[in-house]
This record gives sequence, C-alpha cells and structure tokens, in this order.
Amino acid sequence: MGKTYEIRDPIHGFIELNEWERDIVNHPVFQRLRRIRQLGLTDMVYPGAMHTRFEHSLGVMHVATKMFDQIVKRRQDFLETELSFTAGGLERDRVLVRLSCLLHDAGHAPFSHAAEGLMDKDPTTNKSYKHENYSAAAVAFLMQDVIENHPLNQNYKITAQEIADFLNGRVALGRVLLWRSLVSSQLDADRADYLLRDSHHIGVAYGRYDLNRLLVTLTIALDPETESPVLAIEDGGVHAAEALILARYFMFTQVYFQHTRRAYDHHSVQAIKHLLMEAQRGGDLANKEAFPSPTSRENMEQYLKWDDWRVLGMIHRGLASEHGDILLNRQHHRRVFETPEVPNTSDLEFAEQVFAGLDDLVSFVDKAESSWYKFESADIPILLRPGQGDEELTKLSRLSTVVSGLKAVSRTRVYVAIENKEEALERVRVLRQQKEQKEAQA
Amino acid sequence: MKVSLDIPWQRYALIAELAQRCEGKCPQFGKTVLQKMVYLLQEVFHIDCGYDFDIYAYGPFTPQLLQDLDLVEHTGAVKIHPVASMTGGYEISPGGQAAALIQKGSDFLNKGEVKKAIETLVDEFGRFWAKDLELRSTIIFVQRDSQKQGKLLSADDIVEIVKQIKPKFTNAEIRDAVEELKSKKYLEPVA
Repeated sequence: MGKTYEIRDPIHGFIELNEWERDIVNHPVFQRLRRIRQLGLTDMVYPGAMHTRFEHSLGVMHVATKMFDQIVKRRQDFLETELSFTAGGLERDRVLVRLSCLLHDAGHAPFSHAAEGLMDKDPTTNKSYKHENYSAAAVAFLMQDVIENHPLNQNYKITAQEIADFLNGRVALGRVLLWRSLVSSQLDADRADYLLRDSHHIGVAYGRYDLNRLLVTLTIALDPETESPVLAIEDGGVHAAEALILARYFMFTQVYFQHTRRAYDHHSVQAIKHLLMEAQRGGDLANKEAFPSPTSRENMEQYLKWDDWRVLGMIHRGLASEHGDILLNRQHHRRVFETPEVPNTSDLEFAEQVFAGLDDLVSFVDKAESSWYKFESADIPILLRPGQGDEELTKLSRLSTVVSGLKAVSRTRVYVAIENKEEALERVRVLRQQKEQKEAQA
Repeated sequence: MKVSLDIPWQRYALIAELAQRCEGKCPQFGKTVLQKMVYLLQEVFHIDCGYDFDIYAYGPFTPQLLQDLDLVEHTGAVKIHPVASMTGGYEISPGGQAAALIQKGSDFLNKGEVKKAIETLVDEFGRFWAKDLELRSTIIFVQRDSQKQGKLLSADDIVEIVKQIKPKFTNAEIRDAVEELKSKKYLEPVA
C-alpha cells in the first residue's frame, strides 16, 4: 500500500494521496496550477474568488474516486456481467481515473477559461483546441517520466498517453470511455467540486447541494432507448439531483455569467492577446494572437510559461494595452442591452436591431453559449426501484416539475465603453419605444 | 476588431427543418436521434453546422445542440413530448412557428449542398431508431478519430473498438453496420 499523505481541503476535509500522486503533485506542471486562478478575475466582482486550479484538481480527484468506488460497490456484478469489466481491470481503472482527474486541468491558460479563446486552431478540425487538449499534451510531453517510471506503477503499467487519451476522449480507450463521464457529464466530479468550492470561496450559497446524498445514490444503468451505460441517480436521490441542477442554474446566472464578471473575462483576453502579439514580435512565440499549439514538447514548454503571475506582472508594468489599464483601474465596459435568458424569435430580432442601432458604439457582444460554463438543460437519468427486479431508468425532468421548467440559458449581451454608456442606453431606449409602438399598432 | 452579433439562425432552423422532415418518417425523432443525425450531417455529409462533438459511452454528443433545442422549443418551432413506452425518450415534432424559423435560416438551408445532404440524410438514416443511429454514429466516430491520430483501421479493428465501447451490441450487429456504412462509402478510408 505504501505511505499516504493528507492535504487539508476546505470542502472535503482531508484529501489523501499516495507517494506516486504526491510526486505528480510536486511536478512543475502541476505546481503551476497554484498560479492559475480558478475563476480568472472574478474577484473584481466577488473579492473572495482567489482560489486556484491547484485545490480544485485535488478536489476532482477526490470526488471522482468516491463516485467510482460507490458505483463499483453497488454495481460490480452489473459492470462485470453486462459490460464485461473484470475485477482486476476495475482496480486499474480506478488508478487511471484518479490520475486523469488530478491532471484534467493541467493545461489551463492564464485566468482559466477566460483565455480559452486564445488557443490555437486544430488544422484537422478547423476549430480551436480546448484546455483538455493542452492538459493531455502537458501530460504526454512533459510528465511521462513521473507517471510511467514510478514504483507504484509497476503493477498497472499506466502510460502518460493513456491519461492523455482519457482527457482528449479518444476512442482508443475502449470500455474505459465509460469512466470519462466522471470528468465530463451532467454528473461529473468536475462540476460536483467546482460548484461547492466556488460557492465557498466567493461567499454565496447558490452552488450548495447535498454531495453526500448524491454520492450514496450514484449508480450506473442502461439507457432503455439505446442500451448504452449511463451514470444515474437512484430514486432516493431525486431531490439531491434537483438541488444539483438548481445549483448549476443559480451559479451560472449569478456568478459565471454575471455581466460584470464577463466584462473582465473580455478585458483579460484582450490584454493577453496583446501580450501574445508582443511576444511574437519579440520572437518568443510562433503564433500571432494565439498560444502555441499543443502539438510538441517545445510548444508546451513555451505555453506553460504563461500563468497568472506573469500576465498580472505585465499588466502591472503597463504592457497589456488599454485593456490592461482597464483592469488596473476597474473601468470595465458596460452592458447596455441583454436579451431574456431564454429569448424567442422576436427577442432575437430585436437584439439584431439594437446591435445595428448601436453600430460603432458596440465594443463587444457576449453570449451564454460562448461561456465555458453553460447552463444547458441536459437531464439526469434516475433509476427507479433499484435492486427490486423491475428497475426502470427515467429522466429527472419527468419526475420534477422544477427541473422540467428550467430551460437552457441562451442570453446575449451587448457592451460599450464606459464613456459611451449614456448615449448607448438612450439609443436602446428609443429603439425599445419604437418596438412597443409597432407592437401596439399591430 | 470586428464585432458581430451572429445569431445562429442556421442552427435553429436546421433543428426545425429536421423535425419537419422526420415527421412521419422516423420511428421516433427524439433528442438522441437529433444528436446523431446532426453528427452524421457534419461528419458524413461534410455540412459544417457549427457543433463540436465529443465521444461518450453513449456515442457522439454535444451539449450545445441541447441548448439550441431548448431555444427552438421556446420559439414554438418544435414541440417536445416525453414518450410513454418501454424505450422512453422524447419525440420532437414541428411546432406552429416551424416555417417561420426555417425561413430565418433559409440562406443556409437552401444552399444546394445543404439541401441535398439533408434529403439524403433523412432518406438514408431517417428510418432508424435511436439505438441503431447511436451504433452507426459511434462507428463513424471511431473511424474518424483513429484517422486523425494517423491510424487506418480495418473493419475488424472498428468492430473490436466499438464492441468495447458498446458491449450490448453483438459482434455481428456491429459488423453488419460497418459493412452497410462501407458499402455506402460513408466509412472511408478503411484499411
């Protein structure tokens, strides 16, 4: 078993690590996460939001392990007979899940999700890489030795590439793909941890829900429509599942998509974009206005030099353009228009009129869909009558009128520079008046 | 810096269009079928609808499509009903505002290649249940993902990987689906 170490955590009490995991935590790639704030510049709105990806990553590993253990404890027979898992394979999967969850955020850019828009384009998809791709590349290119050559890995022979495949969601994982839902799904350990952690540090109650109840009711079942295995909650945990969905809704609307917080996301991205251009001019980076691609060891070494401390230092030295100055002086651009949370066609058409009417005053447009944190209406599977011989899998939205009434948030906002705020608000007021007059005439 | 509003009318209109075309043609046009149809439209017919799919044990999936579906339902362009049967799931049907929303995305939907792709998609895949589409879209994801990693899979390789991801299907069922996709040249290249 070997020696274990405990780290004190404000959400989960103690988080236990073995010697192998401790060595990984002590690796410079993981230590960098101490210098990446969990919520970027959210402290400009909620001053307590100073926590980092370091503690969140430990928390995700801890919660994912509890989830994994719970599922295996309750459904080992099902996993073995229905899904062809073996006892030995499950033991190895547990280790793979722990390490993958520990390292799932290793490739975050400065200020976390805010700078994700500055990640380079993948030429094979023509879409931007995601932080998961950078996490996978950091593991594959820079952490091979600490992962593969540790004595505690002798029995498992887990490779850095396997962890990278887990993080990238590669089909090479085969049956192990099932466990990816523990780090990316409606019931994943990632959001299970960040809702509680962010609430705790910010000082809001919106993200709280009964994690312990969810954990003891977590299970796995076959979707009757497709016979695919899915994570589910037993019917005894319905209200805990409702609370989780509501926590996500409140945290999204009140924190992650809070209008001023989103303005600071915009300014921090523009500031970093300027710094990247300057670095390019100085010959430091191969790509203009984007971080290096996660495609080589050299690129990843360059990329990981970027952290919050470096960017904040450059902002403080006045090197980060007018957006850096905005951050220093808290003179963010102001929201002058927004659609309802769930707009209809007429709301969207009016947004187009407002956008055209504001014309050159518009500094940027923000959409709920472009936020990494989303509130989409994906459902939670609920297993009715578990273990009674007539189990049935249904959806939470069918059992809960609270949840069925919640729709995905698709709000769009328009921002202008602070000096244009009054003029912009007046133009919006006139446009709204014209719209109301037209509607009254119709 | 160019700032744009870019309301994705084409994405919303596509959902309404598929609901209209699948009505009476698909055995159950629900949320899973919508996911897999749009995935096939992007990957097999090369129509960029703007979605980014990831693979799970339940096949290719993107939460953005669910978000869009909610909005489209709110506009009245589709209706979503829970299905009371052994298989459960939902049924999506066109709503009273379907034609109006489709009109908003007509620049996209009326492009020759888009129109033809949607017609062929519904003709070729519209008859399938969610389970069958999930299998076929997973097969295509496995082949495409491996190709991106520089691996050219044989039909046997694909069957083996898909069997691990979707153990409830028999090898024969997976192989039949692979052969069917190959014969229609939707699964190229295969070693």
